[in-house]
Amino acid sequence: MHSGGITFAALMQQVLVGLSRTTILFIVSSGLSLVLGVLRIPNVAHGSLYMIGAFVTFSVANFYGQTGFGFIAALVLAPLVVAAVSLVLERGLLCRLYDREHLMLLLFTFAFTLIFADLVKMIWGSDYRSLNAPAWLQGSFDLAGLPFPRYSLFLLIMGPLVALGLWLLTNKTRIGKIARAAAVDREMVDAIGIDVSRVFAAVFVIGCYLAGLGGALVAPTQNITQGMDHTIIIEAFLIVIIGGLGNIWGALLGAAIFGLTDAIGILVWPQFAIVFPYMAVVIVLLIRPRGLLKAIW
Amino acid sequence: MKRLFGLACFCLSVLVLLPVAAPVAAKTITVGIVDCYSGPPSTYTNDVRDAFKLEIDRINAGGGVLGHKIEFVTRDSKFKVDIGLSAAKELIYRKNVDIMMGTINSALALAISDLCRKEKVPFLVTFAKSAKITGAKGHDYVFSITENTALAGKAAAVGLAKKPYLKYWIAGDDYEYGHAIADAVWNNLRKLKPQVTLLGQSWWKVGEPDFTPYITAILSAKPDAVIVATGGRDCVPFLKAAKATGFNKRVPFYMHTATELSTLKPLGLNAPEGVIGTSNYFFYYPESPENQAFVKRFEAAYKRKPAVGAIYGLLAARFIAGAYRKAGKVKPQAFIKAMEAMTVDSPIGKVTMRACDHQAMLPMFMGTTKKVSGYNFLIADDIVTIAGKDVMPGCDEIARQRKK
Repeated sequence: MHSGGITFAALMQQVLVGLSRTTILFIVSSGLSLVLGVLRIPNVAHGSLYMIGAFVTFSVANFYGQTGFGFIAALVLAPLVVAAVSLVLERGLLCRLYDREHLMLLLFTFAFTLIFADLVKMIWGSDYRSLNAPAWLQGSFDLAGLPFPRYSLFLLIMGPLVALGLWLLTNKTRIGKIARAAAVDREMVDAIGIDVSRVFAAVFVIGCYLAGLGGALVAPTQNITQGMDHTIIIEAFLIVIIGGLGNIWGALLGAAIFGLTDAIGILVWPQFAIVFPYMAVVIVLLIRPRGLLKAIW
Repeated sequence: MKRLFGLACFCLSVLVLLPVAAPVAAKTITVGIVDCYSGPPSTYTNDVRDAFKLEIDRINAGGGVLGHKIEFVTRDSKFKVDIGLSAAKELIYRKNVDIMMGTINSALALAISDLCRKEKVPFLVTFAKSAKITGAKGHDYVFSITENTALAGKAAAVGLAKKPYLKYWIAGDDYEYGHAIADAVWNNLRKLKPQVTLLGQSWWKVGEPDFTPYITAILSAKPDAVIVATGGRDCVPFLKAAKATGFNKRVPFYMHTATELSTLKPLGLNAPEGVIGTSNYFFYYPESPENQAFVKRFEAAYKRKPAVGAIYGLLAARFIAGAYRKAGKVKPQAFIKAMEAMTVDSPIGKVTMRACDHQAMLPMFMGTTKKVSGYNFLIADDIVTIAGKDVMPGCDEIARQRKK
């Protein structure tokens, strides 16, 4: 255990750091959950799109010489590039496979994780890449005697904004309403004369846009390299499962549980901190095997 | 008639040319390299292969070794033991390679080492950091031309013992490399300076995406210094989080590969200053003409600066060529005999292969990260050279480990 006492300030600090991690996890897993809920596709390549988002962010920001403007431009452009890639993927291939069984779709998207990994290697090479946050987001400020990174604060602001955007999209727009209806009963939506195929394409692109956005936001804090797809996809799937399959608010709850148990575990029992979020997953599934919120499946 | 004549001419010329062409292809020494060329580890392994090729080309251009041309074939292990081991078998049984070389994965290096012992093929380990390779699991056919966790740990302990820190924290990758290097630093440090205490430890998974919660938790425990036992791709994000939280300004920390080019170059001028690290090689140190010439050759061929892997690749080529020349014949037993206690010249000075454990005696350079004008990334400064013989376990200690 931790030697010496844990101060309240340290605990609060850890909660905030955990919540900033939650932001990234939420953005990525909500996209995964959206696709899973509406299209019924367990998109394993979601992590690859997140990785591509980070690489494109690096390239765009570098093009503008890693300035503040370059970073903002990258935050806007990179998710759009990922969305474009996913549109090609959906219209070109995925839309022909919707009536196949889940295992086929799983294998299909898995094949794309390998293809994307090699494409990334061909385009960007195997060197490590690092992107600097703009000057106004670098460094940290003092929070009760402990440093709190400015970038983490930025993430804490971005998280609720994305959540708000998602809420507006699913509840206030026509496409959101159709998507929710299609998630419950696909044939019925088809029967009343709505082109489900186009709705599916839109939802898939939005889901993948979120993966790209997650990758773009995480880029300045990470080593942009091959392999970042594996770590995120496992965590994102766990979050989606404990939150309730296909439920984006479940993804928010799951991400918060994952991020917070991780950060607090590190403070209380640093030697075995790795197991904390996974223990939380096990406990949630023991109590609620179908996830915390209503699963759409 | 004309066609018949043409055909006859063709057949004749084939008959004449065949015996001439054959001997050229015959006399070669084949080196089989199994290493991870995909995913994050390729950042390190590409330099080994490229520097090896550069040196081999030079040796071949100078007439080869004992009239033999040196050739090499590579196989990608994808960082997996089973894939790497079957590739090694293919190279040994089907390609009949004379020498095996590789890998960055310690578990795979030990597996290939075992295979090479059975098949009596000399094996040169070029990057794997497990001390077991030439320690407890060492044998006649395996050679290491890279530092290992025991050597780096001892070197770090020697350096850290000279500093005034007493209360330590250990944090690192929760797998073989992390624990091995942390144990090596800590056990040696405790021996050199018994009054040090350990406040606590944090262990994270390999590929940890966010180090901020680990750093803030360590800071709240207020240690004098931290031993960071992380390697490979986790170094970059750790240094980023260290910079973002001002960790390096609050608590000094040691991280073995912190000063490596592969780690510092991507971070540019935004890497944290004052981080202590150890390495076998820098392209800017030692400032000898031999090193400068090597850097120039490497840059001309590959348009980039050589990182630490390059010195291992170059040493491998020089040891192989040198040992065959010294042996006077291309036979595994003679090669092993010749390798033992052999010394080769290199950009980091003379390097000797220790006879008792087949571990190359490499110098270790300990430095701290610093911004220096003329570079658009941080480099190691205040470099202290720790000689190989000062950090290597004694031959009696190796014998004891192997007996167990």
